[in-house]
Amino acid sequence: MAPSLRRFLRHETILAVLVVVALVVLAAQSERFFTADNLLNQGRLMAEVGLVALTMTFVIVTGGIDLSVGSILGLSAILVGVFWKNVGLALPVAMVLAVGSGGLAGLVNGLIITRFRVPPLIATLATLALYRGLAEGISQSRSVRGYPEWFYALGQRDAAGVPVQVWILLLAVVVSSAILGLTTFGRATYAVGANETAARFSGVAVDRTRLLIYTASGLMAGLAAVIFVSRVSTTRSDMGTGLELDVITAVVLGGTSIFGGKGTIVGTVLGLALIQALRSGLSLAGVKGDGTIVVIGLVLIGAILVSNVFGRDGDG
Amino acid sequence: MLRAALVTAVTFSLAASPAMAAPAWTGGDDLPTSPLACDATPAKASAKAYDGGVPTKPPDRKGKKISVVDVPKLIGIGYFNATSKGIADAAKELGNVSAKTDGPTKANIDEQITFIDNYITQGVDGILFAANDPVAISPVLKKALSKGINVVGYDANSTPEARQWFVNQAQFNGIAKALMDSMAAEIGETGSFAIVTSTFTTPNQARWIAEMAAYAAKCHPKMKWLETVEAQEDNVLSFNGATTLINKYGGDLKGLFGMTSVATPAGAEAVTQAKKCGQVSVIGLATPNAMKPYVNKGCVKSVVLWNPVDLGYAATYVLRAVADGTLKPGATSVKAGKLGALQVVNGSEILLGPPFIFTKSNINGFDF
Repeated sequence: MAPSLRRFLRHETILAVLVVVALVVLAAQSERFFTADNLLNQGRLMAEVGLVALTMTFVIVTGGIDLSVGSILGLSAILVGVFWKNVGLALPVAMVLAVGSGGLAGLVNGLIITRFRVPPLIATLATLALYRGLAEGISQSRSVRGYPEWFYALGQRDAAGVPVQVWILLLAVVVSSAILGLTTFGRATYAVGANETAARFSGVAVDRTRLLIYTASGLMAGLAAVIFVSRVSTTRSDMGTGLELDVITAVVLGGTSIFGGKGTIVGTVLGLALIQALRSGLSLAGVKGDGTIVVIGLVLIGAILVSNVFGRDGDG
Repeated sequence: MLRAALVTAVTFSLAASPAMAAPAWTGGDDLPTSPLACDATPAKASAKAYDGGVPTKPPDRKGKKISVVDVPKLIGIGYFNATSKGIADAAKELGNVSAKTDGPTKANIDEQITFIDNYITQGVDGILFAANDPVAISPVLKKALSKGINVVGYDANSTPEARQWFVNQAQFNGIAKALMDSMAAEIGETGSFAIVTSTFTTPNQARWIAEMAAYAAKCHPKMKWLETVEAQEDNVLSFNGATTLINKYGGDLKGLFGMTSVATPAGAEAVTQAKKCGQVSVIGLATPNAMKPYVNKGCVKSVVLWNPVDLGYAATYVLRAVADGTLKPGATSVKAGKLGALQVVNGSEILLGPPFIFTKSNINGFDF
């Protein structure tokens, strides 16, 4: 345990150093970068990716993956509009039902993976198309607009000077790191990812753990959808396209191994912070959109390489 | 328990779908339409009060150098390369505008909002935009206005109070009339056609389709609409969509509308590869360069557009006039460099001019 604990700390420490270096360099490039206004605004923009990345950490730690989170976000976003405008429910009820539908979509993912033994990559690749198609079909590609004013408070206003969704994100970070690091459920998650057969024979409820994790992933995507709709004040069936790539980048950058068994919430949060800081800082420094993507790709490769070099322990 | 939950969810979703009312043709929006007369009578210009937004305490920019960012729907396609060129030309002519074009690589509203947000933080003086979604883009544009930034739109509008002015390339009903009349001339008054559009929620495409439906009902009632497919300004999707339509309807499909500058050449290519040149007419909006091979071969007879270079050019001049304070709410026209005086219509929209039809006789004179 002690050597692997050392490895855990290594990657997160390297990442933390990288984040600090990036912040310093980017702050030097533009005096508007390191202002409270900009930092809080970046927090607002990264809330949706952040929330989904937290549960994606659990998913990837179990050795699985969930490519359908973007489509679940689109589906839940559409359902907010459909439940409110077309079915005629009260908006708070519609919001709760939309988040619940996200959870249901995640549950279906989990069932396909555990009951039918389909590899997560294939299962969620299929549901990526399925949920997106459902979103387009249900909405008939009409967008729903005209929500009441209080609804926009969720995505566009502040509470005590900090954007509302940043508070939600902070709460989610605390809760998920407690679950992953301090509970038996978290231990079970690591066990399933490190060696599924050994976990099963040790009496860990592998299937139940997986099912709960994929459901949570869907629930989080649903919550992110509600926040997103509130932020842009409309619903569209193509929302969240490409979200899964941003989320997986943040999680993998944070040190979670794609093979499972390794990963922390702290790492994911640092990964998120680094990517958002790069996006914001490079844009302020005058680098255009395509340049930023190149830099983020290089940073991702570099961070993984560096931590592999330091963490080499004999099995390649 | 699980099964019950699943059944409830599926029932809910199925119950929701019939509750949606479909418009006349798929892909149109449900705003009111105003079809033009069937002959060449021009539309009546109606006076409307200024309904654009107002920036909060903008600094005095009269005569000073301003930095402008242009955030189109996406970068990397011929159409927005052309508008970007127009913006650069105008900036060079004016001398005191430094303009930059930056935007997402796919027509995604989420990313476009993030781009605009970052430029607001950067503190630009002016923002030019072509919106991927009129409502979704409005909160971030209102934020720009609240920081004293001048906001002018072109090509695809936002809600009126989120920007100061919108340069409209052509009236929606004018484009609809030009497209439907060209199609009727080629496939006859009883022909059937299909439409390849970007997405069903893209503002200008949805408006055009709605206006086309209204105009066809008025002036070409026997023409038959078959289907609208979405292809998201993507080349491969447009080609696949057009090929699917050709295969699905076979001899029944006489005409194909391309509603984006990517869909029309892709549609023409699909018709050429299916060896149906002359049997299926392709009419749509496209840049001349993309259509030259098909027009010169005779596969496509007419291409409808306005000049996107002029569109970007006019938008920059409008932004400069707004920043200088020479273009105020209530104005009826604005001078836009070599384009002369442009009319203000609809309260806060500036009309570029009538649509232009490219045919074999004039297309080789253009290079964009």
